[in-house]
Amino acid sequence: MAAIEVTNLVKRFATKGRGRRSLVEAVSGITFSVEDGERLAYIGPNGAGKSTSIKMLTGILHPTEGHATVLGYIPWSERRKLVRHIGTLFGQRSQLWAQLTARQTFRLLARIYRLDDRDAARRIEELGELLEATTLFDVPVKSLSLGQRMRCELTASQLHSPRVLFLDEPTIGLGLVAKQRFREMIVRLNEERNMTVFLTSHDVSDIEYVARRVIVINHGRIIYDDDVSSMRRSLLRTKLLEVRFEEAPRALSLDSVEVLKHSGLGYKLVVHTSQRSIRSVLDELLDDYSVADISVLDPPLEEIITEIYEAPQR
Amino acid sequence: MTRTPYWAAFTDGIRRTMAAPAELAVRIGFFAVILVVFSSLWRAATQANGGVIQGYGYRELLWYVIAAEGCVIATKPRLIEEIGDDIGNGDIAIDMLRPVSVVSFRMAAEMGEAVVRLVCALSLGAVFGLLSVSAPPSLEGLLAALPAALLAVGCNLTMQYSFAAAAFWVEDAKSTWFLYQKLIFLLGGMLLPLELLPESLAGIARLLPFWTTAYVPARLLSGHAEWQLLIVQLGWLIVLVAAALAAFRAGEKRLVVTGG
Repeated sequence: MAAIEVTNLVKRFATKGRGRRSLVEAVSGITFSVEDGERLAYIGPNGAGKSTSIKMLTGILHPTEGHATVLGYIPWSERRKLVRHIGTLFGQRSQLWAQLTARQTFRLLARIYRLDDRDAARRIEELGELLEATTLFDVPVKSLSLGQRMRCELTASQLHSPRVLFLDEPTIGLGLVAKQRFREMIVRLNEERNMTVFLTSHDVSDIEYVARRVIVINHGRIIYDDDVSSMRRSLLRTKLLEVRFEEAPRALSLDSVEVLKHSGLGYKLVVHTSQRSIRSVLDELLDDYSVADISVLDPPLEEIITEIYEAPQR
Repeated sequence: MTRTPYWAAFTDGIRRTMAAPAELAVRIGFFAVILVVFSSLWRAATQANGGVIQGYGYRELLWYVIAAEGCVIATKPRLIEEIGDDIGNGDIAIDMLRPVSVVSFRMAAEMGEAVVRLVCALSLGAVFGLLSVSAPPSLEGLLAALPAALLAVGCNLTMQYSFAAAAFWVEDAKSTWFLYQKLIFLLGGMLLPLELLPESLAGIARLLPFWTTAYVPARLLSGHAEWQLLIVQLGWLIVLVAAALAAFRAGEKRLVVTGG
């Protein structure tokens, strides 16, 4: 069964420039559906229309044209019914009250969702254990670190057992460890509760770890829709290596590796992983050169999207 | 009482205000300064006018000031700007993701906060009045003033929400807080009783809702047991709540939130 169905959804905003009003089309007739329990990454460069799409699907924005249902509800006309069944988490906007502790916010949210006091208390404890956050609940929200706050935000989004979770840049600003922990929690919630996950992020690792399917949107249009493993096979064909040598290499020559740039002892390399495994490149570097430090990075998402955008029609 | 989300927001507003005693103390301290200044002004003014101005003696005027200033100081002075900011920067979207009426929920929370400030301000005002000029002129007026003070705060809040909703349509609507404050000062009877205004201006003030926020409770506490004023307040409160709800309902459809 489809949790989300979108048909020809369009959103135009009026903008003012040089005294003239004009219309900007943020979303240009997108159509897709998301099955119950699916984990979808909905990605694209800045200004592609991702957040606008999420805001229409959660009922915050009214579309200019088109139709959508989430769990059978039309989001913008049945918003108050819909939000009882969905959770939302916006990385750049907090749903917690800064002056209160997280637990006080949860109690207030429990009232908002009209949960029974005893059920709410049990649910808060369950989520605290599941998300390893119980010790954070009695600290004033304003005193929490970003990573700790995001775990409390996730708890808040789960109090009413939502069937769909919308995440808009949820890991923005988090450290590496906190990001990974957050991703694991999302996957755990999906697997244990069959909760549909709709994720937007600029972080390739979020997409690789959390999502099974990816939709790429650019200039308001869907330009790619496939599962993540296919995308990885077909598009993530390069990795970046940042290497710092102990002494300048005489001539750095490695098969299937390009030097992107270098300065002093630091080199930025591109490895064509379709031709050669990253492991064999690392082995060669470590065996034949005196390496002080090395890190493996994915190419920026913008690059992958550009590749998708520039690829011939699929 | 049933613990609806709105009741929870109201009680939470009370708790939140009581949890910030320093902020409360500053506001009540400011109220005390206003009382001292106005009591001196009105004492001098009444003495210069043979003890009575338009039917108000010094005692009546002091209780008038206590009620008028106490009711207005109970609400946030720049609430319109705060709401306008939330609409303008899209933070209101978070409230829209909860299964409650955005405006009712926020007003309930604000009312909870305002009630604490109102009780503190009127308590201090009562002590000040008793020490300065003895009890309010009429027991009946005092009894009518108590519900009127609550209604005044309710009218003030709902009117500010109605004003702030303009931010859905106009970019710099939040600056209307300045205009609003001046209207409350003058047409609301906060600065001086409407009887002291030119007749035509007083007539206009009585046709508008601003006088429900300060003049009505002040008039009652100053010894004029005019119970019909409560009906006027209640009527305006219904109109203002309907206006705020309608404005937000229409405005939410026009909300523009771009970016994350």
